[in-house]
Amino acid sequence: MAEDVFLGDDLLRQLMSVGEVDLLVGMSSHNAANTVSHALDAIEASFQRNFVRQRVVIVNVGGGDKDEDGVVAKGHGNLAEKGVRLPGITSLRTSHRVTANFSGPPSPGIALHTILAAADLLRARACAVVSPAASNLTPDSIANLLMPVYREKFDFVAPLYTRNKYQGLLARNLLYPMSRALFGCGIRELFSDEWGFSGRLAALCLNQDVWHEEAIRARPEAWMAISAISSDFRSCQAFLGEKSQAVKGPGTDIVEVLRQTVGTLFWCLETQQSLWLDCQRSQPVPTFGTAHELTSEQTDLDRHRIFEMFRSGVTELEPILSSILDPETHSEIRSIVSLEEEKFRFKSDIWVRTLYDFAASYHHAVINRDHLVQALAPLYRGMTYSFLVEHADSSPSEMETASEMLCAEFELQKSYLMERWKAKVEVKS
Amino acid sequence: MVQQNGKESRLLTPQRDNLWYKDAVVYQLHVRTFCDSNADGIGDFAGLTQRLDYLQELGITAIWLLPFYPSPLRDDGYDIADYTSVHASYGSLEDFKTFLAAAHSRGIRIIIEMVLNHTSDQHPWFKEARSSRENPKRDWYVWSETDTRYQGVPIVFVDTETSNWAWDPISKSYYWHRFFSHQPDLNFDNPAVFEAVWDVMKFWLNLGVDGFRLDAVAYLVEREGTLCESLPETHAIIRELRKRLDLAYPGTMLLAEANQWPADVRAYFGDGDEFHAAFHFPLMPRMFMAVKLEDRKPIIEILEQTPEIPDSCQWFIFLRNHDELTLEMVTDVERDYMYDEYAMDKTMRINRGIRRRLAPMMNNDRRRIELLNGLLMSMPGTPIVYYGDEIGMGDNIYLGDRNGVRTPMQWNSALNAGFSLADPERLYAPVISNAVYGYQAVNADSQKRSEHSLLRWMKSLLQVRNAFQVFSRGTIQFLNPSNHRVLAYMRQFGEETVLVVNNLSSSAQAVELDVQRYKGYIPIEMFGRNMFPRFGNLPYLLTLGPYQFYWFQLRRI
Repeated sequence: MAEDVFLGDDLLRQLMSVGEVDLLVGMSSHNAANTVSHALDAIEASFQRNFVRQRVVIVNVGGGDKDEDGVVAKGHGNLAEKGVRLPGITSLRTSHRVTANFSGPPSPGIALHTILAAADLLRARACAVVSPAASNLTPDSIANLLMPVYREKFDFVAPLYTRNKYQGLLARNLLYPMSRALFGCGIRELFSDEWGFSGRLAALCLNQDVWHEEAIRARPEAWMAISAISSDFRSCQAFLGEKSQAVKGPGTDIVEVLRQTVGTLFWCLETQQSLWLDCQRSQPVPTFGTAHELTSEQTDLDRHRIFEMFRSGVTELEPILSSILDPETHSEIRSIVSLEEEKFRFKSDIWVRTLYDFAASYHHAVINRDHLVQALAPLYRGMTYSFLVEHADSSPSEMETASEMLCAEFELQKSYLMERWKAKVEVKS
Repeated sequence: MVQQNGKESRLLTPQRDNLWYKDAVVYQLHVRTFCDSNADGIGDFAGLTQRLDYLQELGITAIWLLPFYPSPLRDDGYDIADYTSVHASYGSLEDFKTFLAAAHSRGIRIIIEMVLNHTSDQHPWFKEARSSRENPKRDWYVWSETDTRYQGVPIVFVDTETSNWAWDPISKSYYWHRFFSHQPDLNFDNPAVFEAVWDVMKFWLNLGVDGFRLDAVAYLVEREGTLCESLPETHAIIRELRKRLDLAYPGTMLLAEANQWPADVRAYFGDGDEFHAAFHFPLMPRMFMAVKLEDRKPIIEILEQTPEIPDSCQWFIFLRNHDELTLEMVTDVERDYMYDEYAMDKTMRINRGIRRRLAPMMNNDRRRIELLNGLLMSMPGTPIVYYGDEIGMGDNIYLGDRNGVRTPMQWNSALNAGFSLADPERLYAPVISNAVYGYQAVNADSQKRSEHSLLRWMKSLLQVRNAFQVFSRGTIQFLNPSNHRVLAYMRQFGEETVLVVNNLSSSAQAVELDVQRYKGYIPIEMFGRNMFPRFGNLPYLLTLGPYQFYWFQLRRI
């Protein structure tokens, strides 16, 4: 019986003391010893400024690290406990903190599972997940995630950021247009460290039998967004300002990023196929604040190196790509890989068809799915090189036009994916 | 018990306790509202005297009377025209003396209002003062040739007054008034004024009154370049009054009316040589807030901000009174919350407060009314019960000003609620007659007969409160269990230790209390006298129903 219990007695005891809440903000303090205090202050300040009457709780998921968990448990960063009151503002209620400790570093999936369980038990109306590692975490950004749920009855709130035009290329060229074309919901930042959701959506997701899945353990947020779409919950986007770039550690290379994001997206296609196969067209998503914002700082990306990595990668993975890609697509890839760097362009129709081939092959499991996703890396580099060259001098509005055209291409070729998806495929050993 | 020496009536107990005000349970009333003995539609001292048995039975030990002096009644009696008499509507001075003796014979002390800061413009002192610039009483008030002195001093009644100076067309100069222009301020820089008000106080003390609630004490003295509030000279006057009081009338007391933050009121206790007691205004709205929020935070916050006071001093605490539920001592956010939760109908609001009675504010929810009274009786301080709240009287928000909470006391279901035999049209105010709070449904007689009535419950509450000095004199220590909906505290005085546990929420709650320090003690529930399991090593688990509270006497046996 005990093995079936996910929540520990200590956490349950803490939740009992909190009772019902209106707002819940969850986070994981693991690996965030230096920033957790700032995050706690921002959350407390957001509560004080925007939700003085509401019943609120912060749920922290810790990894048993005494330093990090201690900061949360002992109230470091707690404005109220430090006697800090924002001018003229006082929270009327007790502000609660709950810490769920795990013996080791909790994965994002475990952290979210814990936060959803707490939200469900506390009957939270509006929730947000934030990342203590994000330096752009502010009281306003937290409120912007909570407000649409609490006041406007939305069920999922995705963030929107001010981006440098060279930032977020994976989202711009792959995740956003593909998910928009397939699921019909134009959420720009499907993968993010921060998002908002309703208690209803939390309850739905909590009860799904997915928490053991690798895709969910690593990046559960896109699945949550897609779950909202699939269940006719109301989704929206909220502008949060500038996006801080997380400090990159080992393992955050492009291959790992693709595994976590594209791998999860493909997994969602697999598990939610009835949804996207029936989806006719995409719908705009309501947005609070600025729709999106691009800046044009110069980039230090080494285009030549990216091109070389594309070319060498495609050559090395030739046998694997031949099993993934449709022969016609494969042929086109081979033809462009031989082009001179100056003449090389990865046209959007080929890019879309390439991705759809990968998605279909993932579905048919033509090779190990993890390997399949990794094989996308050199092709993504090729697309990135092409993008950098094409948009070196593009204005933000030109970038946006190009982005819309790419989305249209994904929608145009959706029937191609559906055809390949439904086709009987002989799996090569 | 009572010594009646000519005109004097003084309550004497075998062991006379000069700190009686610390142990008192005070009942606040206006003579006009309580009982009419001569069928003129206005309550009077003779009627009040008839009802003293009711108050004694209830368990109160002191009465605070609102102003009953002759007055033009342009400020509900706080505009006094004669300090040493009784307004004709309320009877005679002889009636007052009879009342005083009757109260004392029942062990009930009497606290009366005294307005030192100003008089009515109909007071003979002011009439003389304005009659000519050479009149000996001229300097009893604050005069000026211009209205520019004391610039920057706030105006109290901003709705009606535009200046603290008023032009006197008779003596052709300006006089100072911090309140209404018909209430000229006395000049306490003139020693004759001080002696005159001391004579007034002696007059009542010689009759036997036990204490004064001094109105508007912060404003006695004016000085250029200040806000003319709480000046050192004002404190010096209070110290002198106190000195004379202690010397000539030991066992009597002074109660300060200062609607300020506790840290600011603290100065009025001095070193135990100014006021004996002062109202704790900010606690009151926070008790209401805590019950609505289902969160103990507001109460704990304000009590933690409350400074220590000298041993001989006491806070006076209350839920409701004759004025609006004042929201001066809250933040804007808190005020908005209180308005939204307790006064959605704007008719319920007046000035910066809410003109409603306790029961209607609680939606007549008996459990919440009991909880708030339980808090009032178990918090540090001397509790004040506003007349009619012990039976859950309603209000009439359509009467204007604060008159909606000053309607006739509801004694029974007979004509005029048993308050008066006058024609209903003649009553000073209509009785409450709606279906929920009307006198047919809510009255003292029917509640006396009902074993489970609010009145009977209040009696048992006061009985327990009066039996233990720990409630009136004990220290308080909050336990802060993790469940924020539960407010728990230890009260301790000498050998008496009491644990109070309040569920502020509308749903059942479990709470674990850290009572390690009291390991081995047996908690005895103080109303039923039932023993609960002994405190041990583990946190003490209690479950409480919605709005339920426990008072436990801790005994080590």
